[in-house]
Amino acid sequence: MKQKLLALAVAVGLVVGAAAQAADTVKIGLMAPLTGSWASEGQGMKKIVELLAEQQNAKGGVLGKQIEIVTEDDGGDPRTASLAAQRLTTKGVAAVVGTYGSSVTEASQAIYDEAKIPQIANGSTAIRLTEKGFKHFFRTAPRDDEQGRMAAQTIDKLGFKTVAILHDSTSYAKGLADEANALLKKKGTNVVFFDALTPGERDYTTILTKLKSANPDVVLFTGYFPEAGLLLRQKKDMNWKVPFIGGDATNNSDLVKIAGKEAAEGYYFLSPPQPQDLDTADAKAFLAGYQKKYNEMPASIWAVLAGDGFQVMVAGIAGAKSTDSAKIADYLHKDLKGYAGLTGSLSFDAKGDREGEVYRVYQVDAEGKFIMQK
Amino acid sequence: MSRANLLVTGLCAALLAVAPLFLNAYQVDVLNSIGLYALLALGLNLILGEAGLFNMGHAAFYAMGAYTTAILNTRYQIPVLWTLPLSAAVAGAFALAVARPVVHLRGDYLLIVTIGVGEIVRIALVNDVFGITGGANGIFGISRPTLFGVVIRQPQQFFYLIWGFVALTIFLFLRLKRSRFGRALNYLREDETAAEGSGINTDYYKLAAFGLGAAWAGMAGTLFAAKMTIISPESFSFWESVVLFMIVILGGAGSIPGVLLAAFLVIGLPELFREFASARMLVFGLVMMVMMVFRPQGLWPSRGGQVSLALLGKALKR
Amino acid sequence: MEEFFQQLTNGLAVGGIYALIALGYTMVYGVLKLINFAHGDLFTYGAYLGLTLLTSLALTDRLGFVAGVLVLALMVMGLVAVLGAILERAAYRPLRESPRLSAVVSALGASIFLQNTLMLIYGARFQVYPDHILPAATLNIFGLYLPLMRVLIVLASVVMMVALYLFIQKTKIGTAIRAAAIDQGAARLMGIDVNRVIMLVFLVGPALGGAAGLMVGLYYGQINFTMGWVYGMKAFTAAILGGIGNIPGAMVGGLLLGVIEALGAAYISIAWKDAIAFCVLILILIVRPTGLLGERVADKV
Repeated sequence: MKQKLLALAVAVGLVVGAAAQAADTVKIGLMAPLTGSWASEGQGMKKIVELLAEQQNAKGGVLGKQIEIVTEDDGGDPRTASLAAQRLTTKGVAAVVGTYGSSVTEASQAIYDEAKIPQIANGSTAIRLTEKGFKHFFRTAPRDDEQGRMAAQTIDKLGFKTVAILHDSTSYAKGLADEANALLKKKGTNVVFFDALTPGERDYTTILTKLKSANPDVVLFTGYFPEAGLLLRQKKDMNWKVPFIGGDATNNSDLVKIAGKEAAEGYYFLSPPQPQDLDTADAKAFLAGYQKKYNEMPASIWAVLAGDGFQVMVAGIAGAKSTDSAKIADYLHKDLKGYAGLTGSLSFDAKGDREGEVYRVYQVDAEGKFIMQK
Repeated sequence: MSRANLLVTGLCAALLAVAPLFLNAYQVDVLNSIGLYALLALGLNLILGEAGLFNMGHAAFYAMGAYTTAILNTRYQIPVLWTLPLSAAVAGAFALAVARPVVHLRGDYLLIVTIGVGEIVRIALVNDVFGITGGANGIFGISRPTLFGVVIRQPQQFFYLIWGFVALTIFLFLRLKRSRFGRALNYLREDETAAEGSGINTDYYKLAAFGLGAAWAGMAGTLFAAKMTIISPESFSFWESVVLFMIVILGGAGSIPGVLLAAFLVIGLPELFREFASARMLVFGLVMMVMMVFRPQGLWPSRGGQVSLALLGKALKR
Repeated sequence: MEEFFQQLTNGLAVGGIYALIALGYTMVYGVLKLINFAHGDLFTYGAYLGLTLLTSLALTDRLGFVAGVLVLALMVMGLVAVLGAILERAAYRPLRESPRLSAVVSALGASIFLQNTLMLIYGARFQVYPDHILPAATLNIFGLYLPLMRVLIVLASVVMMVALYLFIQKTKIGTAIRAAAIDQGAARLMGIDVNRVIMLVFLVGPALGGAAGLMVGLYYGQINFTMGWVYGMKAFTAAILGGIGNIPGAMVGGLLLGVIEALGAAYISIAWKDAIAFCVLILILIVRPTGLLGERVADKV
């Protein structure tokens, strides 16, 4: 009974508090795919950003005001995203965090830029996003060319001579595949197969049979985890032992669940560090808090990168001592150096790209755990 | 049109015309989206509603127009609005070429063929056919349209461009509906055999409806490309065709006011339902079902169409 | 040559699933002339219900693999059948006398509703069947690799299809279904309760779709709430290919579509696979406007 009363009192307090604060808050927008194909990423982004905002508010918010998160669903599709962006621009947000897919982010870029709202994307790795000269655009995610370079380098280092490349026709996977293909050919590696599967299907044995007849030393799959998991599973059923390397879109704990531990063992992928490999004290404390609140770990690093995006924007507002977009952007471009984010140190170059090497090589062990390779 | 009807129509039009003055950018952008879908649905209404041809691949023609504009504009710097007739021609010609061998197929067979055409076009775009569509990235850097020396960039400006075009379309299609051509289409939909018997060249009229509806989709594609400045294949998925199909049937096949009303509901409701967050599509699906159950003839059936559609249903049920 | 036969078996395994789902489309179409766009989602419900029952009741642990999976299949088929009947009551019966396309839109609405209900219940993340439920043996016949489960899936689909065919052709109820498909009015005059026939069709079709969903879940492991859309579309294509309304047509169409996809991917292009399949479909329809086994219906005046 006492507990219930207490809970009620807290709830009333929160409501009253929220009402009192509503008048004077700093609003930060979150644009995330809450529905659609990437809903799981979007829900993760929302949970992390909300938790971080809660913690920041407990510490007094920013500029002496509480932070209010305004969330909009971009549905993981460009048209919905442009509407979501329009909607956020009308809600008086000082900055926007998001979003996941590159084409989705792209549909919103011009809108935020015209409205002069700083935007920081978390999962959009397409090169061209930062090649358009948008002054208010940033991202915590690394770029595809960086990853392509890393993929070619890793294949070289592991000593593979013939490579098959498989993508899924999405702009992300195709871009990465093209980048790696060009670099591998330059190095003299033999690329024996280059084609695309159709995402969203269940049976990829046809493709595996065709891949097998090309007889590569290694297969580079640049698509997403649901397909990667199925490919690994069906490859094992075929008794085909070729190693697979994947891109960062396969970095998801569901990969092993889909493939099964045996089939996933030995799978390599490139990725920014995993949530559990984040070794700073801040990150560990935050993840413990996340676990406590939501009773799960973040499903992927991309959601954590949204968290970093949020923190960077708060730091930008605090550093610029204002919510003026030009000042925030200036501060992030020039003055924010080595900010200690959850995923490591954060700085931005003149284009708004994150500086420094972010990618790591991972391999799945017999337990299905993702082990960072040194 | 009765006097009351005229009054209501005028009032709606006037209200819409001044709406941007009172709405914020987001709300105006939703109206723009509705306008584009209304244009597309009016075109589809010619094919599906007036001629009774089951087309669930309308997004293919929409894509043709958008890509025509994008390619001409980014490669040859042709101003966006000048490409309107070309988009119409390309989409229309493509529709004619595709429909020619299949237009005589029975309802549901035509349905799957048009779905197939829609998918083939989308897959071709994704795979960068002829090296000109930019693959999954699509095409970016499409310039803003200019009208009488004014560069159109704000949602408010697009509003008048899009809805101006919608108004023109309504005017033209109403005249078309009452013309010989429109009557022939309706006759054909009611009873093809009888129409053929009384000397109507059914294939000619079916193809004409197909070509015209597709040409309109092509022009809507131009406006879409101009508004977004980037286009990519995912904007022309099967789902878009399904949405357009739902708009026409929900509004009342063959009814221009019905189609407009349904465009408002089908595109506008999910935006209103944003408050439901994750459940918004669930509510949307439910509303679709309930509306169909309570208004099986459509929300605003065309006069005469009520009987005819029931007849059509019966005829096809045999 | 070995690769050709390998791809052929790959195609048949996928096609078996298409065929099983296509039967649901074709049966409903045969009787109601309605394209039940929500049928693909009933297939998804089969997969999800299978997962929930499997993990909560631990059937395979208690009863062993064969009996466990059989009991599970019966439960799933029963539940999805009930769901199908409810769908018919709620979304289609009120529209029985309305324009045909209104029912199509209602079906699309139902499809969106069913999908999103699953998303709200289970969440948006992919759901995964537990590993090691199935024996992972792989048969090696003449150098072809044939995982035991794939063989079983094809066998199970064929058994169900044959059973359905016999049921429709040889039993009294089956005769009533065929009669209602040809002419509902006349069937009613002959004392056939058409409403019951329709209800029956909405029990049997979804049951088969649910079984297909369970098989996909058991074998491929990974399921998500939107998967019925892709499978449904493919199955609908298969039904049209074989001649919609025709039960052997759905079986032939399903298997053929699977094979066309596999061979198209193997010898032309993987990325263009679906486009190739649609091209073949369109060509077939140009030559045979009512599908491979569809009857030529003369337009009566």
